[in-house]
This record gives sequence, C-alpha cells and structure tokens, in this order.
Amino acid sequence: MSPTDESADLPAPQPIVAEHQLIRLIGVGSGGEVWLARNAIGVYRAVKIVFRKTFPFPKPYEDEFQGLLRFEPLSRQHDGLVDILQIGGDAEAGYFYYVMELADDAHTSQTIDPDYYRPRTLAVDLAERRQLPIGECIRLGAPIASALGFMHRHGLIHRDVKPGNIIFVNGFPKLVDAGLVTEMFKTRSRVGTEGYIAPEGPGTARADIYALGKVLYEISTGKDRNDYPELPVQMGSPSATRDLVQFNKIVLKACRANPRLRYAEAEEMMSDLLAFQFSPRSPFESREIPHWATWLGFGGLLAMIGLIVCLLVRMWSLH
Amino acid sequence: MNNVTLPSEVLLPTRYSLLSRLEDWDDQESWKEFFDTYWRLIYSFAVKSGLTGAEAEDVVQETIISVAKDIQKFKRDRNLGSFKGWLRNLTRWRVADQLRKRQQLPTVPLEIAEQESSEGLPVEMPVSAESELVWDDEWRANLLKVALDNLKRTVKEEHFQMFDLYVLKQWPADKVATTLGVTLSRVYLVKFRLAALLKKEIQRLESRELQIK
Repeated sequence: MSPTDESADLPAPQPIVAEHQLIRLIGVGSGGEVWLARNAIGVYRAVKIVFRKTFPFPKPYEDEFQGLLRFEPLSRQHDGLVDILQIGGDAEAGYFYYVMELADDAHTSQTIDPDYYRPRTLAVDLAERRQLPIGECIRLGAPIASALGFMHRHGLIHRDVKPGNIIFVNGFPKLVDAGLVTEMFKTRSRVGTEGYIAPEGPGTARADIYALGKVLYEISTGKDRNDYPELPVQMGSPSATRDLVQFNKIVLKACRANPRLRYAEAEEMMSDLLAFQFSPRSPFESREIPHWATWLGFGGLLAMIGLIVCLLVRMWSLH
Repeated sequence: MNNVTLPSEVLLPTRYSLLSRLEDWDDQESWKEFFDTYWRLIYSFAVKSGLTGAEAEDVVQETIISVAKDIQKFKRDRNLGSFKGWLRNLTRWRVADQLRKRQQLPTVPLEIAEQESSEGLPVEMPVSAESELVWDDEWRANLLKVALDNLKRTVKEEHFQMFDLYVLKQWPADKVATTLGVTLSRVYLVKFRLAALLKKEIQRLESRELQIK
C-alpha cells in the first residue's frame, strides 16, 4: 500500500474519527478494532473503535463507555497507563472510539513507517526473547504494579492484565486496553484471558494482582502461564538461579490460589519488586524469622513454663 | 502425547460451546470436570489418527456429546465393557466420521453406531493392536497429566516446585534443596506427601469416571 492510497482498504461504512485519518487496521480484540491513525499535525496515534454490534445487549456497551469516561482523565495522571487523548463516537452509527498515544514499533521503536508498523507489546517481546533477565522483569513489573495500585485507589480495576495489554512507549511499559476497565465490584459480561484469570474470578484488585503475577511468571521463567508454578530446568549461572528463585517468591505471593494470602495491594507488590531491585537479598528475608531466634523463643517458652511449674509446686508445698 | 501440540486456549471455546449444547443435562459442573479430564486424551488420539487440529476439535465435541447421550445406557449395560474401552470406541467412531467427511462420504448416525457397539466395531475402523497401544499410552499419560494439574491447584506452590524438580524433572535432592534454599529433609518429606496425594488423585480419577448423573 503506498502512502497515497492509505485509506483504500477501509471497510464501509468508515467510522469517522474527528481530526484523524485512519491509516491501517493494526489489531482486533476485546470488542473493537485498533487502527493506526494520523492527526492533523501529522503525529501518529492509535485509535480503538468499539462497535455496538459486537455486544449482544446495549447495557455492556454503555457500561464500557462509562468505564472509559471515568478512566480517561486518570490515564494521563500515571506514567504506567497509556494516555487517552480524545474520546468520541456516533450513537446512530453504533460505535465510539478513543485516541491513544501510539506504542513503539516492534523493530524501529519511535520511527514509524505506516506500511510496516507493528506495535511493540510485551507479548511481541516475549515471542522473540522467550525469557527476560530478572532486572528487566523488575523494571517492567514495578511500574505496572504501581499503575494498577493507582487504578485501584481510584475505584477502577483493569480485568485483563496480560502481555498483549502491556505496550512500550519510548521504551517505557504501560498498561493498555481500557476496554475492560470497570468500576470495582460491577459485574461485566466479558472477562479477561484464560490463564491470567484468578481462581475466584476477575473483578477485584487482588485478581488484577494475580494476573500481573502470572505475567511476571511467564517473563521470568520463559514458561507458559499454564505451567505455573513449575520452575525452568535450566536456570543459568548460580547468581541467575538465586535471583530467579528469590524473584519467584514475589510471583508466588501474587498468585496464591487463596486471594487472602496474596498481596492486599498492588503497591505492596511494587515495594517488594523495588526492594529486590536495590538489595541482592529477598524482600522476604528481612521478614523471615532466623533459626537462632526460633530456638531462643522456644528456650524462653520452656524456661517460663518451668518457672510457672516451680511457683505452683512452691505454693502447693506452702499450703 | 509428547508430539501433539495441545492448544488449551483453542479448546476452551470448544468447552463453552459444548457445555451450552449439553445444557439439558443436569450436572454442568460434572461435565465441565469430565471435559477437563478427557479432552486432551480424545484430541491427542484424534491427531495421532491423522486428523488436523480443527478436525480433532470436532471429534472432542462429538465424542463428549455421544458420552452424554449414552452414559446412562452404558451404566446399565455392563456388557459394553470398561469405560476406558467404551470411550475408545466412541472416539474411534467420531474419528472415522471425520475421515469420511474428508472423502465426502455420509457419516454414521449415532443410533447406528450404538447398534454396532453390540455387534462389534464398524468395518472401517478395525481395532488394530497398534491403535490399542496408542490409546493405552494416551490414557495413562492423560490420567497422570490431569492428576498433576489437580495436585498443582491444591497444594502449596513451593511444595509443588520441590516435587516437580525432584520427582518429575529428576534433579538430585541436594540440588533441589540448595537451589530452593530449603533443607534436604524437607525435600524428602514433601516428596513423600505429594507422591501419596498424587496416587490418591489418580485413584480418584479412575473411580470418578462414571459418577456423572
């Protein structure tokens, strides 16, 4: 396709996105299409168009739009969320859209060639590299955990955290796909992606944390999410093995089957990730009771019981 | 089974559409568990019989529908043999259906297939010793896989990791202990406990096969 006939392959009727020219369909998913678009001053953007016809009933479509309206101002207040720049739509034609900042190109980063553009998502990185070093896992996990914590604090949940919904903008990871964002505890007809859904089901902050834990499991071990909690047979050098095993403790705490045993808040998970980054020891080590302390406590308990017994014997003999 | 790619994500929509087709049956939870227990076995056997992934998915759907239709009859009539053999026959007939579809031949209706079950297998699908062996291998591998999946979901994750590395990946116990930062005795203890649980789960799966209402 040459730049002169960029719009030639648009389906009819063509959705109209104010002040933007739709160039090429670059993705389809969660009830809509994602297009590469160019604004009036020539800046490339991503536009998600959500069609009414993809929903069996009007209510979920309207709920999705309401969720988007709530998410839109928040999206620009946190670096770990993709910026939503414009919202619009046509109720009569049965669609709404939102304009977002564009992900880096998978191979040329910020240099965008519309004919060959392919968005860089974590899923793309994972397909090419299979496993990421622990340092990179932390640099990716901490901002996403922080972004989730920010959403949760504002009463919103993501519901579909997965590698395909983490994009890179200027090399920085961001959560994308506001399509499933909803208010906490509100039921929705569409749910997340199998394998990232918590055993108790989606729709809570702890379920988002579970999904992020599964993402970190995949990128740190190079294994499929359905293999969880298996560890890879080849773990590399002794230091790489030690890092993986310690990092795995954070993953295990995020993915506990019982939600009450998981991180209560995403920020707590972020703190553990950052603590691990700045200290070679596990963030859990400082909280673990050393053996000597256990024995000391046990000895103390025995001494106290002995003392009580002596006192009782003494009192009995006095009487 | 190792050579067959099992697209769990692809099969999940199959499960949902299948369960909606089975909605007249009372016990949806049991059918869900039945599907999760046997889809790999049926899919894998179908692929090893020369079908494509899409055809094998159809075989999974049609076989489980056949089971749903005939399970009561099977329970009443012990002459039909073991559940394992009965499921093998149903699967083979549905595989034969797919092969007929390829050649644009009419498929065998379920009622006729039922009649054939008392008279022997259809002429098109003779029971070869090789086919029997493939089914037996797949059956054993599937049972172990399902039991391990269930075990994984019920025990503490750290314990499964120890068991996986020591028993399934066959690492030396001291290497497991050093790598995971636990004592050697803990590795042995966890192995002992989980091996017992796994054995129990396999027994449960074997005895559970006919508990669908």
